[in-house]
Amino acid sequence: MPERVAIVGVGHSDIRSITPGLSCKEMMYEAAARAYEDAGVNPRKDVDSFICVSEDFWEGTSIYDEYVPDQLGGALRPVHTVTGDGIHALACAAMLIRTGMARVVVVEGHSKHSDMRTPAHIHNFAYDPIYHRPLEAHPHHLAGLEMNRFLHVTGNTREQCGLVVKKNLANALLNPRAVYGARVSLEDVLGAPPAFTPLGELDIARPADGGFVMVVAGERAIAGLAGEPVWITGYGWCTDTPALDSRQWGEAAYARLAAQQAYRMAGITDPFRELDFAEVDDSFSYKELEHLEALRICRPGEAGSWLEEGVTLPSGDFPVNVSGGSLGVGHLLEATGLHRVYEVVLQLRGQAGGNQLPDVARGLAQSWRNLPTTTGCVVILERA
Amino acid sequence: MREKLTNPEHVRTWPGSIPVEYVYTAGVAGEAYLRAIKERGRLAASACLGCGTKYLPPRLYCERCFEKTGEPRDVEARGTVETFTVAHRDLEGRQLEPPVVYAFVRIDGTAGGLVHRLGEVDPGDVHIGLEVEAVFLPPAQRTGSILDIAHFRPVRHRPAAT
Repeated sequence: MPERVAIVGVGHSDIRSITPGLSCKEMMYEAAARAYEDAGVNPRKDVDSFICVSEDFWEGTSIYDEYVPDQLGGALRPVHTVTGDGIHALACAAMLIRTGMARVVVVEGHSKHSDMRTPAHIHNFAYDPIYHRPLEAHPHHLAGLEMNRFLHVTGNTREQCGLVVKKNLANALLNPRAVYGARVSLEDVLGAPPAFTPLGELDIARPADGGFVMVVAGERAIAGLAGEPVWITGYGWCTDTPALDSRQWGEAAYARLAAQQAYRMAGITDPFRELDFAEVDDSFSYKELEHLEALRICRPGEAGSWLEEGVTLPSGDFPVNVSGGSLGVGHLLEATGLHRVYEVVLQLRGQAGGNQLPDVARGLAQSWRNLPTTTGCVVILERA
Repeated sequence: MREKLTNPEHVRTWPGSIPVEYVYTAGVAGEAYLRAIKERGRLAASACLGCGTKYLPPRLYCERCFEKTGEPRDVEARGTVETFTVAHRDLEGRQLEPPVVYAFVRIDGTAGGLVHRLGEVDPGDVHIGLEVEAVFLPPAQRTGSILDIAHFRPVRHRPAAT
């Protein structure tokens, strides 16, 4: 039986729309210092391995992994970087521990979006260079294409996507980490300028800066640490083909399969009954609905009516994105998944302040690697 | 201590840029596709020798069963709008006036398709299921690129000859 693994410390730098006062490395240091304080560890003595998640093009450095160790306290120690989403890195940490390679592992992810002058151009570089990029379209046009197909196939409506925006922006008002909290009406969302129809301006999560660090430890190492453990009981990840001509339009198959893997590991057969709440990807409004259906939390075509019935409100039967999600908090690039995990950890510890849900014992965090990818990660977290 | 910065470019920043230039090799299957476009004003597809899935753009291998595919064959550049969006912003984030319609077009007789612009149609008349055909640039202007297709337009069903 592999060792049980828990998150024993979490920390983040202040999440903001711009961060002119700190360099990216200083932001990471701020997050790390808070996480180590929370866990009661000294990174120079107690941590066996460090994992960062980053993408060189977002960082503006060709070898960003080499710029990682010092601000985390990881110089002259095992350090590696994974690309993808922060939940990929969290799964790597769990596996290092379960294989006996390490007892305590640190995971880091961040966004310094405000340092980028040409983010749409950098983003566009992710699109197929021969078959797609020559169109020189704004990268978000692909979200418009996806959304239109998703609504067509499932019968969910544009109005129901607007309710996602209304809910998440309102939830964010109670979250001190959120940058974009607001009280908006459905009419505000539907009346916003069209961006990539049916997607409107308010349906698109706006970027934010912020760093997240988590200390992960195996059961045997936990006894000597101060932090309250939140157990990682299941994780999974999946990538569909990148090809637009053969990927599954209208369904987030990557999230369905990643969840299957995580549910199997955690022994979950009925996610709606066995989970108490979820933080799922809402980089674009429709994505929350698409992901809820892919995660089998609700049935295909049912997510939109759940919104109307209030099922996913903080007071509902299955709260979703109580934190405000990416729409309300801000999109944090590869750190987005770690932010979702952070919010789930606070809920399970009973430290979510104004957003705290009553009596929650088991939650799910799900991430998507954003356009144009078909990569998703899922992690299941449980209170001791 | 109470100083607040509101513009990150006013202090303590250093501008940098990366001149990023590549030549992307189209490959065996990609070259067949781009040649069909440039030389014959058609598209090309290749079928898996195992499961028969017909890929467009053509590929050397099947992603479903990992078998090889057969020789690419030309197909008519006609298909159906599987989904579309009306883009109101360009790559710089500026307002597009008039807006540009992009669609994923599923090409007839294949499992594949491509994203391209729609033209010669009012955005309000576009719908999922619309039958469209490619409008190619004149042969002399083609370079072997998906931009040799100016756009896709609705198929006009001609009245029967009298």
